[in-house]
Amino acid sequence: MAKRKSTVAQAQPAPPAVPEIPVDQAMMDLSNLSGQIQHTTQSDVSGVAPPAFAANELNQDPQLIQDFLVEAREHLTNVEGRLLEIEQGVHTAETLHSAFRSFHTLKGLAGFLDFAVLQEVAHEVESLLDMARNGNLVLRPATVDVVLQSGDYLGVWLNYIESSANAKPAATPGDHMPLVERIRAAAVPEAAGDPDCESLSNPATEVPVQGPAEGSAAVAEVTSGGRRSESALVKVDTSKLEYLVDMVGELVIAQSMLRHNPEIGGVRSPRLQRDIAHLTRITAEVQKTAMAMRMVPIGQLFRRMTRLVRDLARKSGKQAELELIGEDVQLDRNIVEELADPLVHMLRNSMDHGLEGPDERQAAGKPAAGRVRLKASHQAGLIVIELTDDGRGLNRQKILEKAIERGVVKPDAQLTDSEIYHLIFEPGFSTADKVTDVSGRGVGMDVVRRNINKLRGRIEIVSSSGTGTTFLLKLPLTLAIIDGLVVVVGQDRYIVPIFAVREMFRPAPENLFTVEGRGEMAMVRQKLLPVVRLSRRLGVAAKSEDPCEGLMIVGESDSKTFCLLVDELAGKQEVVIKSLGATFRDVRGIAGGAILGDGRVGLILDLPTLVGGLAHVA
Amino acid sequence: MQSASVIDVPAGRQRQGKYLVFQLGKEEFGVRVVKVREIMGLQEITSVPQTQDFVRGVINLRGKVIPVIDLRRKFRLDDLEDTQRTCIVVLQVAHEGGDIMMGVIVDGVSEVLTIQENEIEDTPEFGDDVQMPYILGMAKVKGAVKILLDIDQVLTNNEIRGLGRETAMETEASFDF
Repeated sequence: MAKRKSTVAQAQPAPPAVPEIPVDQAMMDLSNLSGQIQHTTQSDVSGVAPPAFAANELNQDPQLIQDFLVEAREHLTNVEGRLLEIEQGVHTAETLHSAFRSFHTLKGLAGFLDFAVLQEVAHEVESLLDMARNGNLVLRPATVDVVLQSGDYLGVWLNYIESSANAKPAATPGDHMPLVERIRAAAVPEAAGDPDCESLSNPATEVPVQGPAEGSAAVAEVTSGGRRSESALVKVDTSKLEYLVDMVGELVIAQSMLRHNPEIGGVRSPRLQRDIAHLTRITAEVQKTAMAMRMVPIGQLFRRMTRLVRDLARKSGKQAELELIGEDVQLDRNIVEELADPLVHMLRNSMDHGLEGPDERQAAGKPAAGRVRLKASHQAGLIVIELTDDGRGLNRQKILEKAIERGVVKPDAQLTDSEIYHLIFEPGFSTADKVTDVSGRGVGMDVVRRNINKLRGRIEIVSSSGTGTTFLLKLPLTLAIIDGLVVVVGQDRYIVPIFAVREMFRPAPENLFTVEGRGEMAMVRQKLLPVVRLSRRLGVAAKSEDPCEGLMIVGESDSKTFCLLVDELAGKQEVVIKSLGATFRDVRGIAGGAILGDGRVGLILDLPTLVGGLAHVA
Repeated sequence: MQSASVIDVPAGRQRQGKYLVFQLGKEEFGVRVVKVREIMGLQEITSVPQTQDFVRGVINLRGKVIPVIDLRRKFRLDDLEDTQRTCIVVLQVAHEGGDIMMGVIVDGVSEVLTIQENEIEDTPEFGDDVQMPYILGMAKVKGAVKILLDIDQVLTNNEIRGLGRETAMETEASFDF
């Protein structure tokens, strides 16, 4: 507890009737009071422990108590910070939610340990803040004061609990009932229009009014308790983190070279074997931890979108509420950063093209406020980010017409719904009749596709006319590691990302064909697939020109299937992707480098550019 | 990463200071010691396809992948077999996006010399068609001539960016995603 050391007691006069009292003065009042309290409580020390502090086996456990104190104090610090932001008018809707969540968590923690007084006070404040964030109560300076005082009161309790646990009971906190009374009094909505009661009018208190409660409630439900407070975190320079990851990678290689050293392998010593196994385990653990340090929850990105939706709604005169689900889902911070742009563009698209205006929505029998849902979840080793709106849906016909008009699609082309929807990612493609300052220039969705491709992700669209559109972004957990096949061509080893590999086979002459003397094809499971000789693509010499002495890898990229001819397979390895740096940015077909098991560099193939020239087959 | 702790060389054409002297063929060259990160023995280099001929490839420098340049080829000197003395000098090269690390293969390093301004002569004019902005000057020390290189100029931004040369491989804009 930093700034406000004052406590609250019975002697507290009626809450300041005139809300214009400057904060400083209020603080002074409180600090005067704390002097009195010190005085009164001093004489109370001899008194018995308050009845609320009923001993049970949980609240006698020193470890539990310690954890509780740490966490509770973090929440109180958070509450204080948030309330001061509210008071100063520099805050967003999240500020109030955050304060609310802290009290909610405090209540839960206190209840778990049977600290009834704490639970009761936290509960009262929670109810008050709940009303405020639902727009049923206008936060006035006096209300903020009461909440702050409650925080201080809980702080005194925490000190008391701590000292009791150390068998040196400090001053008992005063009775909580007068405080509870005042919280309840503050929680009574006052008649609107009272000129004296200048509300802390600002975005936060208005947001709940604009977006009905369910949406905002969902935000709180999902995140409550899931986030750790700032003080438990250390900010680390990313370059240090990258250096650590590099060094750990080198450690793993050094360890593996040691383990496979034939001289060490020749030593018949159970002890040496055990020590090496131990080293291996620890190395693997260190590597895992180093990798996990790059992961951050996606919530921080999601919460930024709350503000965007609000602003866009204002600008376009539409009503919208944003629901956030799965804020705790962790992914690589690089991905989170790269996702910011696509998400902004997609939200703009949903808000501008997807959601209808309130009148149109009501005419269609929908609630006036549109619903936009942003959801993150894990699915089969991927992160799936879902953006759903309940707007008018994509207009299949209009997109097709525009595409034909622009010559992107032939008039007689037979396209699936999904193919048509993906047309909206074409550069400069827009079905908007008028260009607004929000969107309509056909730039945004092109950016979305490019960024998602860069993240090795996929986009899927589900849409139905009149009921809305869902964009699904499927992304890898991390950009740092891929599973790859190590293949050999000529003198060098290359890594083929395994997510693009379907199967492998050794070609036989009867399966190979030449089409009009131009391209080579291979028959795989009754399908003719184009053959890409890696050696020719990369301009290196293969071991043999005869494909039957090599190995075919059936790969898939950009919805094209093809056979990649390599000399041989050297193994499968999970590799850390290293950038080749600014120097090799233009090398086509190479996505990056990776340190192989022997410490040498292998090049990671970039299949989309490598097979980019292929005709569209299968 | 340990940086060579030597006096700061001010920007501009101030040329005196400490230089690492190395050989390419029969000639001796010098680079400012502050630019040198480390000197390592020749190791296996992974070649990168479709790059210019003076690019040998990439190596693993303690977990970082860095490019390696064959300085002899870059200066159009005759190719020589690698020997015991051949080594990689890792340099820090200024680049528009911040400094980058780069290895250059040289035929051997000999010493670190402190060269005074009065020992340095300007580059003689070789005619209009020979542009050599990357030569700081010629140092005459104990009767031998050493060519002082401005390594940032040896590989200009355009060249650094274009180590991977544009190739004939063409990507067809395919509309399907």
